[in-house]
Amino acid sequence: MNTKWVGKRVQRIDGPEKVTGELKYMTDYHFDNMVWGKVLRSEYPHAKIKSIDIEAAKNLPGVICVLTHKDIPGFNGFGIVVPDQPVLCSDIVRCTGDAVALAAAETLEIAEQALTLIKVDYEPLEVVADAEYALTDSAPKLHPDGNLHSHVKIKNGNIEEAFEEADIIVENTFFSPRQMHAFIETEGGWGVMDEEGFLTIRCPGQYAYRDRMQIARSLAYNPERIRVISSPIGGAFGGKDEITVQIYLALLAMHTNGRPVKIHLSREESVIAGIKRHPFKVKMKTAAKKDGTLVANQVTAIGDTGAYASLGGAVIALAIEHSCGPYKIPNVDLEGFCVYTNNGIAGAFRGFGVNQVCMGIETHMDMIAEKLGMNPIELRKKNVYHQGEVSSVGHIVKSSVGTYKTLETAENCDLWKNREKYKSEVSEPWKKRGVSLATSFHGIGMGIGLPDYGAATIELLPDGKFLVGVGCEEIGGGNSTVYAQIAAEMLNCDISNIMIVQGDTQRTLDGGTVTASRSTYTGGRAVAAAAPKMTELLIQTAAEMLNLQASRIDIRPNHIAADGQIIPYKSIHKYLYDHHQSARVEGHFYLPKEKEEIKGSGGAPHHLYGYLTHVVMVEVDTLTGETDVLRVVSIPDAGKVMNPQGLEGQAEGGAVMGIGYTLFEDVLIENGYHKTRNFTDYIIPTIRETPLIETFPVEKPEQSGPFGAKGIGEVVMIPIIAAIMSAICDATGARIFHLPATPERVFNALKDLKKQKVQSAR
Amino acid sequence: MLVSQIDMITPSSLSECLNQLSKAGRKHKLIAGGTDAAVRMKEGKWRPEIWINIKNLKELRYIEEREDFIHIGPLTTHTDMIQSQLLQRKADVLVEAAREVGATQMQNMGTIGGNIGTASPAGDTLPALYVLGAMLELTSLTNKRTLPIEEFFTGPGRTVLKENEMITKILIKPQKPNGLGIFQKLGPRKAQSISIVNVAISLTMDNDRKCAEGKIAFGSVAPTIIRARKCESMLTLGQLNEELIQNIAKIAWKEVMPISDGRATATYRRDMASALLERGLYRLIRRWENQ
Repeated sequence: MNTKWVGKRVQRIDGPEKVTGELKYMTDYHFDNMVWGKVLRSEYPHAKIKSIDIEAAKNLPGVICVLTHKDIPGFNGFGIVVPDQPVLCSDIVRCTGDAVALAAAETLEIAEQALTLIKVDYEPLEVVADAEYALTDSAPKLHPDGNLHSHVKIKNGNIEEAFEEADIIVENTFFSPRQMHAFIETEGGWGVMDEEGFLTIRCPGQYAYRDRMQIARSLAYNPERIRVISSPIGGAFGGKDEITVQIYLALLAMHTNGRPVKIHLSREESVIAGIKRHPFKVKMKTAAKKDGTLVANQVTAIGDTGAYASLGGAVIALAIEHSCGPYKIPNVDLEGFCVYTNNGIAGAFRGFGVNQVCMGIETHMDMIAEKLGMNPIELRKKNVYHQGEVSSVGHIVKSSVGTYKTLETAENCDLWKNREKYKSEVSEPWKKRGVSLATSFHGIGMGIGLPDYGAATIELLPDGKFLVGVGCEEIGGGNSTVYAQIAAEMLNCDISNIMIVQGDTQRTLDGGTVTASRSTYTGGRAVAAAAPKMTELLIQTAAEMLNLQASRIDIRPNHIAADGQIIPYKSIHKYLYDHHQSARVEGHFYLPKEKEEIKGSGGAPHHLYGYLTHVVMVEVDTLTGETDVLRVVSIPDAGKVMNPQGLEGQAEGGAVMGIGYTLFEDVLIENGYHKTRNFTDYIIPTIRETPLIETFPVEKPEQSGPFGAKGIGEVVMIPIIAAIMSAICDATGARIFHLPATPERVFNALKDLKKQKVQSAR
Repeated sequence: MLVSQIDMITPSSLSECLNQLSKAGRKHKLIAGGTDAAVRMKEGKWRPEIWINIKNLKELRYIEEREDFIHIGPLTTHTDMIQSQLLQRKADVLVEAAREVGATQMQNMGTIGGNIGTASPAGDTLPALYVLGAMLELTSLTNKRTLPIEEFFTGPGRTVLKENEMITKILIKPQKPNGLGIFQKLGPRKAQSISIVNVAISLTMDNDRKCAEGKIAFGSVAPTIIRARKCESMLTLGQLNEELIQNIAKIAWKEVMPISDGRATATYRRDMASALLERGLYRLIRRWENQ
């Protein structure tokens, strides 16, 4: 298809103002009459609250209000799936991130001081610090139904028989870290209630409409009287999917006499109270025939969701759905447990459970290839499912599948073809290099059981430009530029004539979340559904204005032509306005879904998946165990690429985030208390840890998508994890099963390897 | 003490500053670049009644060679040191260490005096100062004393500095033409990290691979920086070939007394003392041979 905007390298429409710092994030705003809100967090990871005394705090000069659970007019709880997290705890605290009281004051310092004056009498209870222990009978129950939040199971074929008949079996246990989103803008925002009781909450989020519902439920307040503005956002990655501070802002705003109230978490508070990626323990046993055909996979995954569910159940379900990789394994027995502990709170995070299982199956693929003396690409090519084939979880994959093509591209890329040469070019004699690859996939959109739809509006503005409204927020992934490209393409105008508004319950329609790698697909398709209606409106109006047949009207770039006359869009707007007609159109659609849910899977399968293969080269310092990722090749199948520049941005950001996950990042919690406090000891990659990253998309267009697009936001960070782990092994012979692969872990693995060699030589 | 209640005074000269420091009956503290002080104030650990702001005391910011020493003013920033041609030529190990401190912003603000005064066992410039034989001049309104840097620290965050004293000068011995040094750091990542282990090495070479004299100091493996004197004495035993380097490195294991913390275990720190010394000596010898 010949396009002018779609598929082209279009500069991000929000780029300049973000790069120059001109853009104000919501937490950047200050107002003269503003007051500061602070949240009192629990002193203990698990305790009974015997009493809360706020008198002294209330009497501190400069304090405007101090609120506890008694001040919540509606339901004292929130949570996307199960609202099991108290807004303000009344009887029990289950993690040190739990909120117990709120204070608003004239200055931040007074608000902080007020918190120190709130006397909470606690009775400490036994701390559940480990997910496996939580499942035992001796562990105290953290919630009325016990500590098992959810359990999913997928079983196909006959696993026992398959293991018996297999030629080769590999079995290992994998541990993954509690990764932090580490967004540049910590959780925060502000709220204000006007004289008529209309409440405005400006707070970065990933679904303004759902945030509004959760606020309304806690306030027992008509949601129509609440406006939530949730975009722009200084990074989210899933960490702002759940309620962060919106309900606190709303509660405080009801008690500040119309003055705006601001909350902005310090990094330290964000570390403790913000959600994190689920740490997993994954036991995996994989079997193959001599020729490399995979025959069986058995997986037990235990995810630590911390004190509350948030999206933990969905994370475990997605992990299990993806636990066999993009392969066709006939016999599988896959089981996942989502478990409550007192270890903070875990929830949505880019990759959503797939990261933790991909490292297992892909490590096994390399171990099998090594044992069989087979090329790891050949082994994968042999086992991948193609469009129309049955996946390991047992459904026929009807949407586009690009794995094979990404593997072919990997095979032919410079890094892979010349890997022996690159590996020999070590910078110092005690350093060793390795090159490896891994492949993965990621479902797009909600699974079965959750309604999934998209919606967009297009409005003709007085100056003749178009305002495109999409509910999906701009969380940094670049969806606003994609929406503008699609609108400009379909409305046949210059992209500078497209304005975008996102994430505002007053100005955009409910179009679902910015999660699940879905916003390019759903938002894009919604814009594509609205655009023809705008064209229609323009033509009809012009026809009416000129008293001509609609068929004689032509849409030209940025104007309309008919019978030698030119009508600028401005005039069309004026005509509509003068005749009291709406200049706004809407586009709606429903996301395609699979008909049948796999029994016990918690929502599998998805209709659409994005695919990606990573090739990496690492250099390991064998004296210290330091690992340096030197080169990354990212080969995504995102369907039709809407904006190559945007895709590269996602691929590069995802790769760096994957490097951080594999080598550096972990929020350490001991007995319910955070050992990691801020960025001093939470290590994320800097530019010095950022390698050369090349992106080579393979395009397997998806018929149902806007212009053939799918989604890519999450899978860009997944296979690199396993690829780095394998490259460390390729370099040194040492396999890492416990992430992050810190210098100390790698060094110890090398030490063990040396010991083994000494012993076997004896 | 609330942050908003803390006063700040900015003396315009050293003598005025010493005068302020001599005032008894109040809690005051010096602040220069603020890269440690501001963090500790935020954490609630340092809340003096008065900050004495010495950031702009220009008379304490210099690097110059006089007689047998290089004189460094305590308000010299890490960036000043990195850019100093004198230090690049005659104290390369200090330049390398300064380059490893935090990020560029920290290097621009943080001062050598502050790095010494904070007395962190992980302070990056400290091992370099040890191997350069640094002497510190401490001054109060009525007294002035000079002591070797080894005698300055008493433990983590603790020094012999009195309430009314401040560091007014750092003296180091310039390297000879056949001298060269190296700073090796292992952190959880390459940039902007706190050392798990660091080591500074300064060698004076004879000819070939023969070392005439050498100094080695480790950071982050004991309550203060420590000199590895056993390793030092072995440096001159023969040609610094692979075998001798490995033997010296192994001994380092015995000279350190690290603890476990969130960044690393004691065992790993021990292993890394040896590894960094080995790596540092290899790199130094290669540099020497390429000169």
